Amino acid sequence: MTYSSFLVSEFLVLWRRKQDVFNALLFFIIVVALFPIGINSSPDFLAPAAAGIVWCAAVLAILMAVESMFKEDYRDGSLEQLVVSGLSLPLLILLKVVAQWLAVVLPLLVMMPLLSEMLYLPRSGFRVLIMTLLIGTPSLFFIGVIGAALTVSIKQGAMLVMLLILPFYLPVIIFSTLAIKAAQAGLPYSGLLAMLLAMSLMSLVISPFMTAIAVKASVN
Amino acid sequence: MSWAWFHKLGSPKWFFSWSKSWPLPVFCFGCFCLVIGLAWGLAFAPADYQQGNSFRIIYIHVPVAMLAQSCYLALGVSGFVFLVWQMKMAPIFIKAMAPIGAIMALIALVSGAIWGKPTWGTWWVWDARLTSVLVLFFLYMGIIALQNSLEDQVLANKAAAVISVVGLINLPIIKYSVVLLETLHQGPTFTLTKKPEMPAEMWLPLLFSVIGLYCFVAGVVLWRMQSEILIREHRSSWVKQEVMEHGL
Amino acid sequence: MQSSASLTISDLWIERGERDLCKGLSFSVQSGDVVRILGENGAGKSSLLKVIAGVLSPLEGQILYSGEDVTLDRNPLQQDAIYLGHSIGVKSLLTVAENLRWYCPDVSTSMLYSVLTQLGLIDQVDVPVKKLSAGQARRVALARLWLNKKTLWLLDEPFASLDVRGVALLEERIQQHVLLGGLVILTTHQDLLSIALRDVALLL
Ligand SMILES: Nc1ncnc2c1ncn2[C@@H]1O[C@H](COP(=O)(O)OP(=O)(O)OP(=O)(O)O)[C@@H](O)[C@H]1O
Ligand SMILES: [Mg+2]
Repeated sequence: MTYSSFLVSEFLVLWRRKQDVFNALLFFIIVVALFPIGINSSPDFLAPAAAGIVWCAAVLAILMAVESMFKEDYRDGSLEQLVVSGLSLPLLILLKVVAQWLAVVLPLLVMMPLLSEMLYLPRSGFRVLIMTLLIGTPSLFFIGVIGAALTVSIKQGAMLVMLLILPFYLPVIIFSTLAIKAAQAGLPYSGLLAMLLAMSLMSLVISPFMTAIAVKASVN
Repeated sequence: MSWAWFHKLGSPKWFFSWSKSWPLPVFCFGCFCLVIGLAWGLAFAPADYQQGNSFRIIYIHVPVAMLAQSCYLALGVSGFVFLVWQMKMAPIFIKAMAPIGAIMALIALVSGAIWGKPTWGTWWVWDARLTSVLVLFFLYMGIIALQNSLEDQVLANKAAAVISVVGLINLPIIKYSVVLLETLHQGPTFTLTKKPEMPAEMWLPLLFSVIGLYCFVAGVVLWRMQSEILIREHRSSWVKQEVMEHGL
Repeated sequence: MQSSASLTISDLWIERGERDLCKGLSFSVQSGDVVRILGENGAGKSSLLKVIAGVLSPLEGQILYSGEDVTLDRNPLQQDAIYLGHSIGVKSLLTVAENLRWYCPDVSTSMLYSVLTQLGLIDQVDVPVKKLSAGQARRVALARLWLNKKTLWLLDEPFASLDVRGVALLEERIQQHVLLGGLVILTTHQDLLSIALRDVALLL
């Protein structure tokens, strides 16, 4: 096993499971649609709320995708093979997260123009929305993967991961929505983007090691 | 400086015999201070010129909120100690401490809401302090739920340590973001603890109840740790001997 | 592949759940040995293999691989070892070829095909593993033993769900491997028929 062959196999598996990614995206759209339908469909309500709606839906969709990331590997023993492969487990986990991120977030970004029209998000906010999604979502993946690794040995672990991880997502949601709102109001937002970037970088450094500890404790 | 005590702390047997005489006096001292502080604060301290008698709930709210945070700090630190030094006592401590912390956060939330009613006119305000205590409560519940769902002891230990450490790293960011949210959303509201100079007869009872609650919780946690040690080490000979000699 | 490898384990103590396993176990084996770990169900055979492979950590004891202490960091051993556990580590969504390419990226296509022919999997090269039978999936995992050049093999019940021909093939391969200086540690509940080499039995 090498790092590149591992990455190739990860992409192949993601490609075979494209239905799952598709489901996550569909879930995302449905959650977004719930707000205009369930609360208020007027532009007066939606335009200021759009950033929050998109981010909450994105957080849920991403958590759904991340939660099951190790399940299959755990069942068929390939997670165990990663542990004994002699390669660096944190680095393998990092690669896996990057692959997963590309598979989920890129399609999400592609759908954004459509959704921002549906939610009447002003032009000024749209660019920042894309930026927050690009900078902010990596930390969601890196934090979520810790929870996924900790609960991989539990049969019905999805709820537990939600309970465990959602509180950690609050700062990302807050920084992102504040940045978008600031942009809509014509205020400076680069400080908030910097916070997001800092969170993503920090989780990128810490999470692979924590996840490696969790994976090692889970496969036994 | 000798590190022997640090390594000894890792041994449940050593810890058990060392701590055997501690919980009761600590607990009693805590109760004593707590009773003095609360009685003084609730009945005898002068009323606040701004808030009247409703301010008296700080004698419950403030110590409890302080403990809720200190407990999490302690969890995070012991999680770190466990991940780095594999010290056996650390997960026992986490297991004993987490529910206490959750209860403290819950009491802080309830007392904050009770305080909020006369102060703000509503039970709940998305005030930065209340919100961060709420998040803290969620974090505690996450740890407890995780520990209860994992059957394998080794995995449960590691998991609780990992999530405590991650939580400890995240807690300042969460607090900062919540404060940011509040300051950008609403004007400066009345904050709960940044109060004008308190006269001594107002903060002395507060000091008593804070110290009292710390000792009270320390005593309870020591007890819980001891019973957890007995459960985990029930196969070892020293526990059998202990039970033979002193009963349960 | 190392020309001469040795594995020395001293005063091992594994704790699994509520049980102490392999307490005080010490042994030393080297290239050319086929070590069979024997014992009843639940004796701790799989646990011992996992400890050697580095999936589990022992409570106490020392593990030396080719003279190097790998008790705390099993990496030098893992670089030179293949571990096959009860769950075989084959991804069901990938095809046979893709699975093997993942584990052995440097192998040439002709080599891959010849091994798959030998193992009777040549018609299934591009079939996803989830559509294979249990024995066929096991053969996919075992194909690594032909493709990878590692000295130490740690095989947990490798004969499970193999047919008679499969067992013979694997035994032949193991024999070939130890002749070339390999070291094989396996758990099994059956006698190895054709391996008459230095066969060490370890009863737990
Ligand atoms: N995940 C686990 N958690 C707790 N205890 C375990 C776990 N797996 C195994 N054990 C315990 O460890 C002991 C040894 O298990 P192990 O799998 O090593 O046995 P084995 O010798 O391989 O048995 P078999 O012949 O059935 O494969 C068992 O008695 C079991 O009680
Ligand atoms: Mg077994």
